[in-house]
Amino acid sequence: MAILKEAYKALETIVGARYLSDDPVICQGYQSGPAGYENGTGYERVMTKLPGAVILPRSTEEVQKIVKICVRYTIPYVPYSTGFYGPRSHCHVGNELLIDLKRLNDFEFDEKHWYATVGSGVVYSQFQEECLRRGGYVVIGGGGAQASVIANLIGDGWSPLSHRIGLPHRRILGTEMVLPDGEILRMGSLAVGDDWYWGDGIGPDLRGLLRGYTGLRGCLGIVTRMAVKVLPFQPERLQPTGISPNTALALPEKRVKWINYIMPSKEAQVKAMYEICKAEIGGAVTKVPLFWRAIAKAECKEEFWDLWLKETPETVANFHIVRVLLIGFTSEEQLTYDENVLSDIMMELGGQPRRTKPSDESWIKNADSAGMWLMCGSYVSVDYVIETLKQATEHGPVYAELKKKYTPPLMPDHGDPGWFQTFELGYQGYSEFLIYWDQDEDTTGVDHFYLETSKMNIDHRFYTALIGPHQPLYLTGPKYGPNYHEWMLKIKNEFDPTWTCHPPVPFAHDEFVERAPWMHELKTWESPKKSIYPKWLEKQLAAEAREFRESLQERK
Amino acid sequence: MPTTKVNLETTDLNNYKYDMSRCIKCKGCYWVEHTYMPGVKFSTRCPSNVWNDFDAYGAFGKMRIGHAMVEKKLDWSPKLLEIIYADPLCGACDVACKRNLDLEIGLSLEAMRVKAVQDGVGPMPAHKKIARNIAASHNCFGSEHGDRKGWLTPDIQVAAKADLLYFVGCTASYTNPEIARATAKILNATGTPFMLMEDEWCCGNTLQSVGMLDEARELARRNIDRVKSTGARRVLLSCAEGYRMWKVEYPKLLNIATADLPFEVVHLTELADELLRQGSLRMTRPVNARVTYHDSCSISRLADPWTPWSGERGWMGTVSPPLKRRRGTHGLYAQPRNVISNIPGIDFVEMIRIRENAFCCGAGRGTKEAFPTLASSSARHRLEEVKEIGAEVLVSACPWCKNNFAQAVREDGEAVKVMDFAELILASLEA
Amino acid sequence: MKHKDELAKIVGRENVSDAEDVVLRYSRDLSLVPPGRPELVVWPTNAEQVSDILKWSNKHNIPAVPVSSGIHFNGGAVPRQGGVVLDLSKMNRVLEIDQDIKQVRIEAGVTWGQLTAELAKQDMRVIMPLAPHADRSVLSDFLDREVPTNTVYDYGEPMQAFEVVWPTGDIFRLGSASVNGYPDSGSHGGNPSGPGIDFYRFVQGAQGTMGVVTWTNLKIVHGTKKDKVFFAPVDDLAYAQEFLYRLLPRRVGQEVVLLNQTDLAALVAENFPGDFERLRATLPPWTLVIVISGLARRPEEKIAYEVKFLQELVKNEFRGLTVDEALPGFPGLGSRMLPLLRNPWPADGPYWKNRWQGASQSLFFIARPEETPRFVEIVESIAPQYGYPVADIGSYIQPIEHNRACQVEFTFFYDRKDEACIAALYMDAARALVGEGALFTRPYGDLAPMVYERAASYVSGLKRVKKIFDPNNIMNPGNLCF
Repeated sequence: MAILKEAYKALETIVGARYLSDDPVICQGYQSGPAGYENGTGYERVMTKLPGAVILPRSTEEVQKIVKICVRYTIPYVPYSTGFYGPRSHCHVGNELLIDLKRLNDFEFDEKHWYATVGSGVVYSQFQEECLRRGGYVVIGGGGAQASVIANLIGDGWSPLSHRIGLPHRRILGTEMVLPDGEILRMGSLAVGDDWYWGDGIGPDLRGLLRGYTGLRGCLGIVTRMAVKVLPFQPERLQPTGISPNTALALPEKRVKWINYIMPSKEAQVKAMYEICKAEIGGAVTKVPLFWRAIAKAECKEEFWDLWLKETPETVANFHIVRVLLIGFTSEEQLTYDENVLSDIMMELGGQPRRTKPSDESWIKNADSAGMWLMCGSYVSVDYVIETLKQATEHGPVYAELKKKYTPPLMPDHGDPGWFQTFELGYQGYSEFLIYWDQDEDTTGVDHFYLETSKMNIDHRFYTALIGPHQPLYLTGPKYGPNYHEWMLKIKNEFDPTWTCHPPVPFAHDEFVERAPWMHELKTWESPKKSIYPKWLEKQLAAEAREFRESLQERK
Repeated sequence: MPTTKVNLETTDLNNYKYDMSRCIKCKGCYWVEHTYMPGVKFSTRCPSNVWNDFDAYGAFGKMRIGHAMVEKKLDWSPKLLEIIYADPLCGACDVACKRNLDLEIGLSLEAMRVKAVQDGVGPMPAHKKIARNIAASHNCFGSEHGDRKGWLTPDIQVAAKADLLYFVGCTASYTNPEIARATAKILNATGTPFMLMEDEWCCGNTLQSVGMLDEARELARRNIDRVKSTGARRVLLSCAEGYRMWKVEYPKLLNIATADLPFEVVHLTELADELLRQGSLRMTRPVNARVTYHDSCSISRLADPWTPWSGERGWMGTVSPPLKRRRGTHGLYAQPRNVISNIPGIDFVEMIRIRENAFCCGAGRGTKEAFPTLASSSARHRLEEVKEIGAEVLVSACPWCKNNFAQAVREDGEAVKVMDFAELILASLEA
Repeated sequence: MKHKDELAKIVGRENVSDAEDVVLRYSRDLSLVPPGRPELVVWPTNAEQVSDILKWSNKHNIPAVPVSSGIHFNGGAVPRQGGVVLDLSKMNRVLEIDQDIKQVRIEAGVTWGQLTAELAKQDMRVIMPLAPHADRSVLSDFLDREVPTNTVYDYGEPMQAFEVVWPTGDIFRLGSASVNGYPDSGSHGGNPSGPGIDFYRFVQGAQGTMGVVTWTNLKIVHGTKKDKVFFAPVDDLAYAQEFLYRLLPRRVGQEVVLLNQTDLAALVAENFPGDFERLRATLPPWTLVIVISGLARRPEEKIAYEVKFLQELVKNEFRGLTVDEALPGFPGLGSRMLPLLRNPWPADGPYWKNRWQGASQSLFFIARPEETPRFVEIVESIAPQYGYPVADIGSYIQPIEHNRACQVEFTFFYDRKDEACIAALYMDAARALVGEGALFTRPYGDLAPMVYERAASYVSGLKRVKKIFDPNNIMNPGNLCF
């Protein structure tokens, strides 16, 4: 069954034939896998579908009309900006309409008031360059230079630059959103006029609907335009140099400078971070995993493995780096001040400076996660948590311990405990744990590890990114809040009573566990006794689950 | 650990299954590399996906489509052929991917075309016509073979025997004689003796590009043999596409390395740079204009030398023996710029997207013939950039670029003058 | 009596009252918002009691109005439709102070006076709005988005993870405090966001309509080691704003405020009317105050580079401005100003805004700094229509976030007998300002309908969310758009 002809015609009148297609080849181009973030996992194989049709609107008004038609004809739809965020931002049910937002690429900059208004199709490297040119900067999230600014800001939105800039939530200003039922919601200063510069709500703040700690992955409406706060940087040019693949930004050394310190112990490493935050210096303060250095050094995959397999659990355990970016926001003298303070701290703690290149390859304009796929082909940042430095520095080793059980198929990493860094001058600490594997191997272990980490976080009472649509909702729901999932579902039902907006998210991971026989042994939580879906979706999901079972039988 | 035998032959799409299955949709192949990203304007690098916005037209979409082809999940259809062929194979995606992931995007795209030909559905009708022309009259245009040297004027001295052989190519021979003449006059003016091929045939660029490898291979063999028989030590090209054919595709078609060719392949841009450094190229006549340079794909990011490789892929996708990836680093980026900026009076201004990040004119490798709207949309897009930087003269080193830009300029009544590199050099030489 | 008995079962008889004097005390505040008489006042001492009270309210459909501070200026806590006032002042524990992660956890009833004293013992402080009343609840003020005087931090928003009792009575911990068993957990409450969605946003600026926040984690900062206070007399507000547009993005200064002569005089005067009138008559039209501080390490060096930038900026680009450690003619102002910026206003006397005339009403909103001269003009053109002297208007501009925006506050100082006239002036000025683009993100009292009538889609969204958390509309009904 394809999308109803009548509905298709109606959609075509909105955007014109050029920007709507149900051709199977066009739809194939929007496949989630086989590779990419979180692809090659069971979730991707079981839960993603090719779109039934793809539409490319140009404006908020067009998006609104499309959504209204979808609601009228009960056509499931998913918003899609750059499609980088793996399976969770792709179609999950048959005959779904993929709304590709790349043509919403308007951009305006208000230099005096430090913000820019961006459409969903604007990507980070574009935005960062526009900022740098004006003496400002933003955080390019781990998703990288080519990720949609809006999608990233309502999903993730941090990097080592968050040491100053902080939580992404605070940078979301005036925002325009098409709610799942087709109503337009304008937030911040936009709520009362035509001005985008301010983010707070008039009274309570409905920016709460945009995301949680991590994002909703498109199941609660479509953000079409957003004003994003820009932070003042410094006036000197960061000069691009080199020919691909060896390109970098040459830093104006009196204004911007990376310094790496090797610390004698983890205690000294952590203490250094606290002291830097107490002194309120720096533009980024981070530990980095040892294998990033191997990635940076290696010219190709094979060279990486040559380098990496020479390391041992001891070298990894004894690698205590603190990487600090100094920025002379005020002046060259400020950079000197920061550097003096940093030297004092390091002197006290026995930190040894290492030669550091006067360039930036990774963080200012890039946040280059694409390189993360080089080693194995598949990669996911399994957890990425903003909490406090206390949690951040203790979280990784617990992950590393659990991971041993699942290596292989996970990449041999000599027990690397992930990395941590500071946010908001130390009010938050961030930890991230990455896993790598080859998708051509049996990935059951990957699926299991992913879910087990969620249980591990619950047991250790850690905060985690693995909540909301990222793990089974009924596994995490009762354990956080408690029962945040019930509120979330009430909100979903209020704004999307037909569940046409990216179904069955936020319940998709629960659905995956139900469908995938290899996940059943891990199911230790209660699911709702009654279906939480409207009838049409319940029916469709049941049929698709049946289809999946049959396909498994056939393969056997 | 089980391993798979694999090589770089584009005759088997399976060779690229791994690459196609590892595309992560980061879209680095669509956007200008972040380091050089100029902001919201002029920020893309893919003519195909700029022409048509659906993901299927970007390399990330095509990798998924190619993978589905290998998996036999997609049937041939006019749309599939359009997606595969509406693409100048400019290499922008390939070098972008190889900054991070080392996937063989360019070769995957070529292999999809080869498969289309193998399956009897490709190439496009316009390409078939070119193939018929080449077969009948040894040039792309179906012009009289006997007129091939019609560009030669009496004032040009051609040596009967020289180290340097100028391979003129179809365009400079027939549609753009001004380029051939300018090239020859530069050689004469610098005292560089050159010879011509006695019976020059098409280089086979379109054939190779659209997947007609057997026909292209036949031309490669013939052309190489003919050069060998002249004893030339260097083959000079004024056409970028020809340069790529001789330097990269011929070795690829014949499964040899570029280094194994019994002669060196040079493009006029690098020869001119060499002559300038030696002091024999004396550009003394001022050219008082604001000039910009367009990197033609085939002498820039597509120009890394070819080395055949076959081996095994094993654990974590690693290959052995070592594979030297072609990342577009050996393109002729510095040479043309050095020459142009040494012309007296010239106000040389760079475009916003340059070198490996340049935006292709959209004409090459069979695109203009089969998808003229793609070619014209790309040219217009690039001309916007020319206007943005305020250049009066747009110089490229490929007749395909020149013609495509010139047509757009003509149709839109733009005030930009389009010139070939050879013409600009000639203009700077004393009469 | 039935209600009182039932509530007494929840909080204990000593923590519930319907005594006339008590009820009257909660029926109005120092604002112009009309009084509303509660039936009862209860003093819960923990979240479970708050929860039980709200469940009781739902059962009986009786409004519940949370109050945390001992004094109120804006009418947000006036029980417009009666019901029960939940006074959280007995929940006033400072639960944890952690210097490493620069965080304190406080209950709703903790006041500015209490918190600053407690933090000072550990050489810590909290960034604060301009001279908050010592009896105000810190949590309430930040929940209410009171704007701090400190402009240098990129990240704003001092509140971290907190606990809220939803209007339904469900106790909920959000952000990273949502983990099971918090605070006995690996997580320490440093992230307000999530879980699932950003619940914390719904409670902000809600004036007690979206739930009762019982405790919060809050950012604190280490004490400064050395401070220098700079003053610049300002005649031309637009010129001063251009200066701030250049200065503040370069991250110079800690506290930065811009006050007109009436506000500054009202703030610093040692006695009324003598000192106040003398100051008001002689102070420049506006005074820009910039505090430059040395922090934990190398304090002199830090001050030196900031001062250098400041002085060079004045010398090279703003010669029309004199920035100095002394305001000419007002010796010792620096040493008077700094404690005012770093401490709450003492509770043992009238609030600074009420010292002169006995009462005051402030009108405040968010604006672009470049628009402030226009807004000043608007208010100055309306005040005389009500016989209110222009010179009596207090004006305070608080730059926010490197001066990308500011809060503008006009204060009408008045005698209680003139309340009706001031109320009319206040509303008229507000109407004119709203019409000209002033952004009232905290619309108290009668400002709410004025602002919300311009925000149809937003109001609809608010009501839909409110319905989820407060299906019976028992939380502070009649307030905002609910």
